[in-house]
Parts: sequence; structure tokens; C-alpha cells
Amino acid sequence: MSRNSFAALIIGFAFVATAIPALAHHSETAEYDTTKPVKVTGTISRVEWTNPHIWFYVDVKDENGTVTTWGFSAAPPGMLMRRGITKEQLKIGAVVNVEGSRARDGSNNASGRRVTFADGRNVFTASAEDVGR
Amino acid sequence: MNRFFALRPFAVALFVSFLMSIGGASRSQAQTTPAIPRTADGKPDFSGVWSSPTTVNPTGPRGQGIFNQDKMAPIKPGAENLLYQPRNGDPLHDEPRAACMPSGFPSGMLYALPVQIFQTPKYLVIVHELQRSTRIIPLDGRPHRTDLEPTYYGDSVGKWDGDTLVIDTNNFKRWILDDYHYTDPTKSRWHTDALHTIESLKRIDEKTISYRITIDDPKIFTEPWSQDFRMTYHPDWEEIGLLEYVCQENNRCVGGNCKASNP
Repeated sequence: MSRNSFAALIIGFAFVATAIPALAHHSETAEYDTTKPVKVTGTISRVEWTNPHIWFYVDVKDENGTVTTWGFSAAPPGMLMRRGITKEQLKIGAVVNVEGSRARDGSNNASGRRVTFADGRNVFTASAEDVGR
Repeated sequence: MNRFFALRPFAVALFVSFLMSIGGASRSQAQTTPAIPRTADGKPDFSGVWSSPTTVNPTGPRGQGIFNQDKMAPIKPGAENLLYQPRNGDPLHDEPRAACMPSGFPSGMLYALPVQIFQTPKYLVIVHELQRSTRIIPLDGRPHRTDLEPTYYGDSVGKWDGDTLVIDTNNFKRWILDDYHYTDPTKSRWHTDALHTIESLKRIDEKTISYRITIDDPKIFTEPWSQDFRMTYHPDWEEIGLLEYVCQENNRCVGGNCKASNP
């Protein structure tokens, strides 16, 4: 990614605030440590459109070029589908910024609480309280 | 002719007029009652895909699918620890559903995934997308089953009270009451094995079921209490229908200990 496109990405993030709700079949605190926030930017490398949560994986490259893959969980497929969100919208290769809380075991897994797309797409618009209703 | 007979034609006319006014009033009332779908035998028809019940008295933004503590009956002295269980780190205790155990009733009914209702003169069947659990509720007047082990969803029987369907459920095992733990990370909320519930469903217009749950748990509360919810009809969800929901499919991080994904 060039320096300019990365700057554009950051600007995009500043204007778009989208969220995958933490509301799922468990409370966030059961599995994730909300005192350990995670915020990474990378490319989507895999999507598992499964119950009880979808998972998507983001490859994050550090300044030395080392790639770390983070797993993020989100709502169940049914909740997302009824909000018009499909698997196709989480495209492999898409650049995203994801915020969440780290898994309690300290692994590179987290709740995917907030997802921001580089081009301003805003697909996760519903508030957590409206999920599935 | 005595006075009574002299007045009889007037009395008859007055009585007929009274009957006509009653008929007119009921016709007028019928005209203002919203039309709702009905089955062939004239009962309100609950068939279709519905959103899960949302409370009309939320405790906060995450309180849509939980009971409002302010509207419960008083807790009996010493019963607070039966209702509220502090987390102890064991997923089976803190949030059984997180470990793919059954949500149970009423917790599963209030969870934010839709239900599909099927109705015959003999049964009402509620299929939840959550865990694909199914409640089969006889409507033929049979009594509760006896000599069963207590269960997560209890034993339900239904009957009609006019246009209201009343579902009576007993024979519960002690289990989590609702998703209170979404609003308080320190503890969860439970019912006892003495729980007895009454649900009242009334289709108040084409799009809405008024849904009331009465909680009667005499080991915890001084008296029964009721709370009101609403369910919304979603014909737009019917074409795709309910999705499969196999919790064990890819439940990666139970208790915060993550394992590799299944797919």
C-alpha cells in the first residue's frame, strides 16, 4: 500500500463509523477481555459464514513486513442476513480497520466490534439493539 | 285494560330499540377492530415469521430482550442469591448458551433471532432460529404431562380465551432466566425449578402480537409478576425462512479459550 493510499484510508476511517454488534449468543465479556482493546488494519484473508458467529480473518502486516492473522467474530449469519448483509460484502482482499476486544486466552482472536471499510462503505449500520428484530 | 297492558306496546318498542342499539354498537365496534388473519375455525392465526419479543419497558439500550427488574415482584428475603448468580469463570455456569447448552424458556423466546409459528386446531408450534429449538404446544385441552423430569423449556399446554392464546408452562429445571448478563458482566439471572409461566398472545393488528409473560417463581418472588412485549410480523423474512443454526458448528472461543476453526 502506498503512503498516499494509506493516508486516504485513515481519512476514510475518520468519517465512517460502522459496527458489527457484539450481541451474539454470548455476552462479550464471556469470551473477550474488554480491558484489552484491539485495533488493527489489514486485508480480509478468510471468511467463515457459520454459526454461532461468523468469523473473518484479517492479515495485518507490521513495519518489518511480518504478517499476523487476526480472527474476529461477529453476529450469527441470520442476524446479518436480515440486515441485508451477505458474505459477499466481506470480500477477500478488502482492506478494513477492525476494533474489538482480545480473546481472554491472549490469542490473536477478538470480538469484531467495529469494522471500517477503506472506501467508506457502511454495511454494518444497525445498532446492536436492533439486531435480528 | 289495566295500566301495564296500556303501556305494553311502548315497552316492546323500547326493548326492540334497545336491542337494535346494542347491535349497532357491536357492529360499530367490529368495524373499528383491526382485521387480523383467522384460521378456518375462526381463531386468530399466528402463522408466519415473527421477530422475537421486545419489551415495551426496556431497562436500557441492551434491555430489549430481557425482563425489567423494576417491574418484577419483590424478592423474598434470602432469595436474592437464587435469582442472581455471580460469574465464576465456568461457561456452563456463567452463560450456558455460550457453551452451546440450550437457551431454554423464557430466555430462548426473548433472544434476538426470529421465530416461525405454525398453527393447527390441535397445536401451536413455535420454531426458533436460535438453536433451532421447537416448542410444540397442544391446544386440545389436555392437562400437563406428569412424572417427567424437569426440562429446559418446560411442559406447555395452550387454550383460547376469546382471541387470546394462553400458554401455561411448568416442569422447568433450574436454569438461566434471561440475557440479563448482557447488561451486567458480573452476574447472570436464574429461575428455580418452581417456575411456572403463563404467556398471553394476542394479535392486536396484522403486524403485531401483544405478548405478555407472567413469571410465577414462588421460591424467589413474593408473588407472580407480568411483563409486556411485542412481536412484529415479517412476511419479508418468510421467503428465505429460518436459517440453520448449529451452535457446535464453529463455536471457537468458549470461555475465552479459542480453538482452531472447524471449516
